[in-house]
Amino acid sequence: MHKKLTLLFALSIGIALIPGTTPAASFFQGKTVRIIVGTTAGGGFDAYSRVIARHMGKHIPGNPTVIVENMPGAGGLIAGKYLYSIAAPDGLAIGNFNSAQIMAQIFGREGVEFDARKFEWIGVPVKSNVVCALVKKKGVTSADQWMDSKTPVKIGGMFAGNTTSDVPRILHEALGLPIQLVEGYKGSAEIRLAAESGEIAGGCWQWESIQTTWGKAVQSGDVAIVLQATDKPLPELPKVPLAGHLAKTQEAKDLIKAGITDPATITRLYSLPPGTPKERVRILRKAFQETLKDPEFLAEVKKSKLAVDPLTGEDVERIIKGLFGLKSSTVAKLKEILYPK
Amino acid sequence: MDAVMFEMVQAFGSGFLLIFDPTTFSLMLLGIGIGFAVGILPGLGGPAALALMLPFIVKMKAVEAFAFLLGMASVTNTTGDITSILFGVPGESSSAATIVDGHPMAKKGEAGRALGAALMSSLVGAIFGAFALALAIPIVRPLVLILGSPEFFMLAILGVTFVASLSGGSLLKGLIGGGVGLFLATIGLDPISGVPRFTFGQLFLWDGIGLVPITIGFFALPEVIDLAVQGSSIARGEVGKLGGVKEGIQDTFRHWWMVIRCSAIGTLTGIIPGMGPATTQWLAYAHAVQSSADKGRFGKGAVEGVLGPGAANNSSLGGLLVTTIAFGVPTSVMMAILLGAFLIHGLIPGADMLIPELKGGHLALTFSFVWTIVFSNIITVAVCFIFLKQLVKVTRIRGSLLIPLILLLIYLGAFTEKNAIEDLLLVFLFGILGWIMQWLRWPRPPLILGLVLGPLAENRLFLSTDNYGLAWLGRPGVLVLIALALGGVFYSVLRTKRSRAARRDEPVPAPETAVAGGFPKMTRSTLFSLFITAGLALALWQSRRFNFRSGLFPWTICGSVFILSIFQFGRDLMGKKEKGGMESQAEAGQEILPHLVRSRTMGTFGWFGGFLATVWLLGFSAAGPLSVFLYLKITSREKWPLTLILTLGTWVFLYGIFDLALHVPFPAGKLYAWLSF
Repeated sequence: MHKKLTLLFALSIGIALIPGTTPAASFFQGKTVRIIVGTTAGGGFDAYSRVIARHMGKHIPGNPTVIVENMPGAGGLIAGKYLYSIAAPDGLAIGNFNSAQIMAQIFGREGVEFDARKFEWIGVPVKSNVVCALVKKKGVTSADQWMDSKTPVKIGGMFAGNTTSDVPRILHEALGLPIQLVEGYKGSAEIRLAAESGEIAGGCWQWESIQTTWGKAVQSGDVAIVLQATDKPLPELPKVPLAGHLAKTQEAKDLIKAGITDPATITRLYSLPPGTPKERVRILRKAFQETLKDPEFLAEVKKSKLAVDPLTGEDVERIIKGLFGLKSSTVAKLKEILYPK
Repeated sequence: MDAVMFEMVQAFGSGFLLIFDPTTFSLMLLGIGIGFAVGILPGLGGPAALALMLPFIVKMKAVEAFAFLLGMASVTNTTGDITSILFGVPGESSSAATIVDGHPMAKKGEAGRALGAALMSSLVGAIFGAFALALAIPIVRPLVLILGSPEFFMLAILGVTFVASLSGGSLLKGLIGGGVGLFLATIGLDPISGVPRFTFGQLFLWDGIGLVPITIGFFALPEVIDLAVQGSSIARGEVGKLGGVKEGIQDTFRHWWMVIRCSAIGTLTGIIPGMGPATTQWLAYAHAVQSSADKGRFGKGAVEGVLGPGAANNSSLGGLLVTTIAFGVPTSVMMAILLGAFLIHGLIPGADMLIPELKGGHLALTFSFVWTIVFSNIITVAVCFIFLKQLVKVTRIRGSLLIPLILLLIYLGAFTEKNAIEDLLLVFLFGILGWIMQWLRWPRPPLILGLVLGPLAENRLFLSTDNYGLAWLGRPGVLVLIALALGGVFYSVLRTKRSRAARRDEPVPAPETAVAGGFPKMTRSTLFSLFITAGLALALWQSRRFNFRSGLFPWTICGSVFILSIFQFGRDLMGKKEKGGMESQAEAGQEILPHLVRSRTMGTFGWFGGFLATVWLLGFSAAGPLSVFLYLKITSREKWPLTLILTLGTWVFLYGIFDLALHVPFPAGKLYAWLSF
């Protein structure tokens, strides 16, 4: 009996000494992990984070409670700054903000109070894919028609630095598409409404959002997806031309990749404060990927019609490294296109 | 056609049955209960509460979830009115307009009548809005689709013209106030080019200044100070018999058509993205003033001033839902959160919501929303009437007990809107501004109206011009709205002239800032006008480097308001008198010695600032109970048992409910951060 206990004791010490397992488990045990979302409650970012929060705890050793905190403001810059300089780098604070903030740093925009290269990346639950959707009643239903249009096609946008504005600007420059960008709409829902009422022809933003909010109209043909700014055709849109294929020059292709495709892929970023212990980064990365494969998680996202198409933390790191390694001429060109004086 | 009608009626019936499922009904009751409390508690708002409840709906079925959420959303405005009337503190930011006349009624001892009127008009408004939603469902899509950016812009302008009716006796001050509101609305990122305007390098200001903290501070602090100065309970006079309640109910029917018109205003503005209940209440209030023969009564306890906003802030819910359900376009903060609930349940707002279940839609569910609004309001109003006696008694609790709790709730409510500690500072600053404006008889509502309508006007002006050039000015809808706006202004001017002519013989009561002779003199009124003028000049200077797009709106507004404020400064300098604004109230109760007034006012300001400082240093959970304890012990000199009970209650409320159960991310106090280094 006594021997058995000693053995058990030794064994547990032994396990405890294997790096990473027990210490981490004992670290997360009884703790609360906070996912800090850079938007208000109710939006898409919040929806993903809340589902992830409900299931991620069981994939982290020690099964901590995972909760969501909303820290909206400045398009995610406030949450980014919080994660960068205020949150303790202990693995208990996960940030969730938009990759637009990383582009803002690359373009040297105002208000970026962090260095994105120093964050630890956990992953992305879904690669975003940007497409352009136009209402049929405005007459343009294919990329060819658009290209040949005598008058500029009115595209609704929100503001410079947002996908809805940036994508048309880049497409106009890279492909020579006739576009009149009308900015100032508050959200893609308002752009959709303006297109339905005939004020504008349509807009360009995330397919996973268009698919849910405008899916019926796409099916019925009232809305046509005319262009996809993705690496390869989306499974649901095999025949829609790729923006990259329409590009005639390498420069145009580069602009589309650096300005649209890559930032879109990592739109919904999950990250940890700089200096989080590597071991905890590893655990959380693993837990994140496991969560995204968890059948209960998948059942829930299916019900909410949220798409899942994950990237690992390593993938994200690679893409971000690539974005920071862009040729300075590409960055300058993009800056000129996106933020016209 | 008949088949379609049949389907509609059938879905309407099924919607009715849906909410009477035991689980659904219980959840609706739970929602009502939460909404009741959230509405009553000053500061804490419906949208924030709705956001906090989102995690709980995951396990519910769609019908249950919406019965729960809408049950809550339906009643916050009704019970919010109660707080506005009894305390003069907005229970919701959308029930601030009820204060202007409701609270003076309570002070006069007519709380019963004011509550009766508010509850009854709320019920009428809610039912009006709900049935408007039901009737709109078949026709809503084409209806909304004829509205484009130009019409939205003109609606915003039409709203701004209501400033005239909200200015009370002083149109110039009203216009300046409205202009300052429009200017404040330009703070933050310019909506198109994303250039920060007037943000002083603060990220927190990028999204503009929030309506909730401003409204709360602006209206609540002056009343809290007044309560402290009076050193009594809220009701100064004898609280009349509760017979007043019946009177209030009858008032609703006496002014039936005005109540209906205000309900219509509520529903229609609800439909417009970017307006919402915060706007609607003031438009309805302005309409109540405008349609009354004797405008002089307003601000002093005119029951129409309670009926109008009471009906409109409730009827707006139906309108808000129209656009949200039919298009998936959220028309207010609350609707954006509700859209989140749609998302969680995999429902797609849009045409589907208007198609019967048999054809793969969710029409019965949509109609269940209508019934939820109707029944939630009937239940709430019934419960309120039963407990009205107890509610009115609140006005007799001594102010010294209420003040610390109100102060704390104001800050808590401001925080929970965006979880931003900086909002507390906004409450503080706008509290002071609101107090000064009330003191110097500047009408406050125009400022709020300008603030809500500013972004809509600016955005839609550029969208209209970009989309249509100048051709938008010729659109039929625009012409109709221009005619309406001009007509309204002329009508108002005409009526004012006429009533002024009628009153010419009456003696003008001397305002407190009366100045002898016509010598230029620096009074506090003059100083305040100078302050506004200087502020606008500074803003113009700040905006000199804006590009055309970012600059056009701020330049136009600041420029014209700057000129107006110079006029006002001149008037004040020459000691020109005018009738007090509509908010100047005939105070009941005994006279209080000037030195007491001053020391109590400064004392309350001190506590108000002190609360802010303690929250910042210690965090909410510790600062709340501590501040309450200190206030009760030092200023109120309460006995130990009561002090301890209230302190403990505050702690349980803050820590137990907000921190533990709802995971509100209270920031840790700065002091801890300093100590740990």
